[in-house]
Amino acid sequence: MSKDSNNKTADSSTRTIDPYKTDLFTRIVSLSPKFLLLLLILPVLGGLVSVLLPAFSWVPALEQTTVSLQGFNDLWQTPGLIQMVALSIATGLISTLLAFVMTLMILAAFFNSVWLTRIERLLSPILVIPHAAAAIAVGFLIAPSGMFSRLISPWLSGWELAPGGMFPHDPYGISIILGLTLKELPFLLLMALGALAQPELGKKLRQQYKVALNLGYYPITAFFKAVLPVLYPFLRLPILAVLAYASASVEMPLILGPNTPPTLAVTIMQWFNDVDLNLRIKASAGALLQLALTGGLIALWLGAERIIKTCFNGMLVNGKRNYADALWQKITAALTAVVIGFILLALIGLVMWSVAGFWRFPAVLPEQLVLLHFQSAFTQMGTPLFNTITIGIVSTVFAIVLTLLCLEAEQLSKKPLSTFTSLIIYLPLLVPSIAFLFGLVWLQQLVNNQTAFFNVAFTHLLFVLPYVFLSLASSYRRLDPRFAHVAASLGATPARVFLQVKLPQLFAPILIAIALGLAISFGQYLPTLLAGGGRIATITTEAVTLANGASRRTSAVYAIIQMALPLVGFILAWILPKYFFKSGKNSSR
Amino acid sequence: MQSSLQIKNLQLYRQGELLLSLDEQIAGGEILTVMGPSGSGKSSLLNWLTGTLPNGFTAIGEVWLNDENVSHLPTHLRHIGVLYQDALLFSHLSVAGNIAFAMPKSNKNSNKKQRREKIEQALAQVGLAGMGDRHPDNLSGGQQARVALLRTLLSAPKAILLDEPFSKLDTQLRVDTRQLVFEQIRTHKLPAIMVTHDYSDAEAANGKVIHLDL
Repeated sequence: MSKDSNNKTADSSTRTIDPYKTDLFTRIVSLSPKFLLLLLILPVLGGLVSVLLPAFSWVPALEQTTVSLQGFNDLWQTPGLIQMVALSIATGLISTLLAFVMTLMILAAFFNSVWLTRIERLLSPILVIPHAAAAIAVGFLIAPSGMFSRLISPWLSGWELAPGGMFPHDPYGISIILGLTLKELPFLLLMALGALAQPELGKKLRQQYKVALNLGYYPITAFFKAVLPVLYPFLRLPILAVLAYASASVEMPLILGPNTPPTLAVTIMQWFNDVDLNLRIKASAGALLQLALTGGLIALWLGAERIIKTCFNGMLVNGKRNYADALWQKITAALTAVVIGFILLALIGLVMWSVAGFWRFPAVLPEQLVLLHFQSAFTQMGTPLFNTITIGIVSTVFAIVLTLLCLEAEQLSKKPLSTFTSLIIYLPLLVPSIAFLFGLVWLQQLVNNQTAFFNVAFTHLLFVLPYVFLSLASSYRRLDPRFAHVAASLGATPARVFLQVKLPQLFAPILIAIALGLAISFGQYLPTLLAGGGRIATITTEAVTLANGASRRTSAVYAIIQMALPLVGFILAWILPKYFFKSGKNSSR
Repeated sequence: MQSSLQIKNLQLYRQGELLLSLDEQIAGGEILTVMGPSGSGKSSLLNWLTGTLPNGFTAIGEVWLNDENVSHLPTHLRHIGVLYQDALLFSHLSVAGNIAFAMPKSNKNSNKKQRREKIEQALAQVGLAGMGDRHPDNLSGGQQARVALLRTLLSAPKAILLDEPFSKLDTQLRVDTRQLVFEQIRTHKLPAIMVTHDYSDAEAANGKVIHLDL
């Protein structure tokens, strides 16, 4: 029943009530979006404020209650500050730009071709590899004694001994750029393919593309002129998230970056973790600088977007149908092959290091294969493994339940979530985590000091939630509403419709979202380190620690475990729907 | 008690514009046919009756079912069953599961075996004996339509709405299915409203026909 409130006067004989606010379930559902907002806004904004105050020297805990610019003065006098900032900007911007351009090239060259699905299948596992593990693998590949130099030695290079070299940890951040690009390319590509998988949008774009081809446009030109202008808005948010992450992350720069000086984010982290608490004022000022840096990059990107749009608008309709299409096709194919080869080689190298016994330099294969490293790692891995999995499960289950309730609220109230809510959901992806996490940790310490486990799980939730929401929203909104109507007309309560009709229909997407949530939680480094106060060790924190210093073989084992954990989740998410709640199309009858 | 469905002074608006107005009473076993081009508000009428009117639509008026005003009740408490042109069987449940989902839990058939027997009987009545464990996606279109009908009937509705229920079936199947559905509506003495744009449906319904214009 849906009486219009405007017609209340004309409709005095019947009561006007919202049909969905009738029982406990529907009340909980209708409150869930507000709860979601609070859950995201409070920690992120609270965290930002708690960084803002110390940045201006207001730290009651350190008996500093006078507002001053001392922190910023200290910050400006840090030797090498310019290099740190430049390194952060360069690595963030260049890696995002490279990943974006290559995403476009792959899409353009293989749009509507079977190769696009093949590339998608090859690259999608990369998505679940945590940044730390990817960094370790890339580091092994480009190290002076890594797979590259082994493959070309000694026959080509003449190296009999491992050469000296600047990779990884090169002062220009090339290794970081390489690592970030390889990790973000699959993400952007899959986000684009996800947008194209939306039934209406995908169909429309494929038709537009076909029309352009029929009009004589060459394939790549057709993509850029007829598809990209419509597709780009769907890519904007993922790109900005990548840019924000790349300019402020710590895992990749810690493992692949230079130390003298490191990137800004890494430096801030070191200051915050310093035993000298007075460094925290400088660190807070640094966090604000990081915020400005990331914000500036986002503004720069949005500005460049405008400029490019204005400059190239005329080209869209100039009628030119070919811009060296054949050449670009070849370049893209070659580049794609290089990228995939690079990733495969890195993974193979990683596996070989994890089982390598004695491995002399120019040899491409180790002389012995041993399981010793796995065995010794497993004996020390119990607690981190337990922490990783339990924190992942707690944060993911919470994220899934909240996401489902919010999406159900959207359907029951027949109103889409407000733009504000949708934006807030992605807030933790756009605000550099280093800028609000420290503040959040201070807040958490104010509230309760003891439950490090809860603090870590809660902080993970902030990062798990956006991805889970992103992953579930489109399937939930695509459900045929008539099934719910039929069930309700058969007498099923809203709770029963939700639990027994909608959830079983969404079984496969929910499992994928769970696997994704777990993968995101497994991969978190900085939130785990900070919220846990160093007391909660996970596979990821151990892997990053080991990557700097410990043996390459142990490090490889941890990186492999890091990759295996999320992979197990995704394999389960792929297999289980074949046995439960299967639809007839999959059964063999 | 004679069951009846009454629409009292309905005025249905789309974006504030009057779409249709209706004042009808349908006795048990009668089928009111509503015809009209798409966009004339046929489906919105059914949505209003079940309480699932989408945003952008507004309505004033009341629905009375067996002398009870159900206008303020949520969908699941109205006991108005709907048959769509698609069977919309839940593909995560078996054929029997789909019907069991609809059967209310009463003392009469509370135990599992009795419920199952009742389902089997009902299936046999419409020529689907022994198909309870089949997966709904593996049935033919006509079989699916019959399961959907049973599902609605066994939910013990007080009225039935038919939303172009036969339009996806081919001619012979259409005649047979239609006959079965109408028979059941008459046997159970249920008031029914059918929305269609097929004249043979209207003829077969053998009741009042309302034509809506754009």
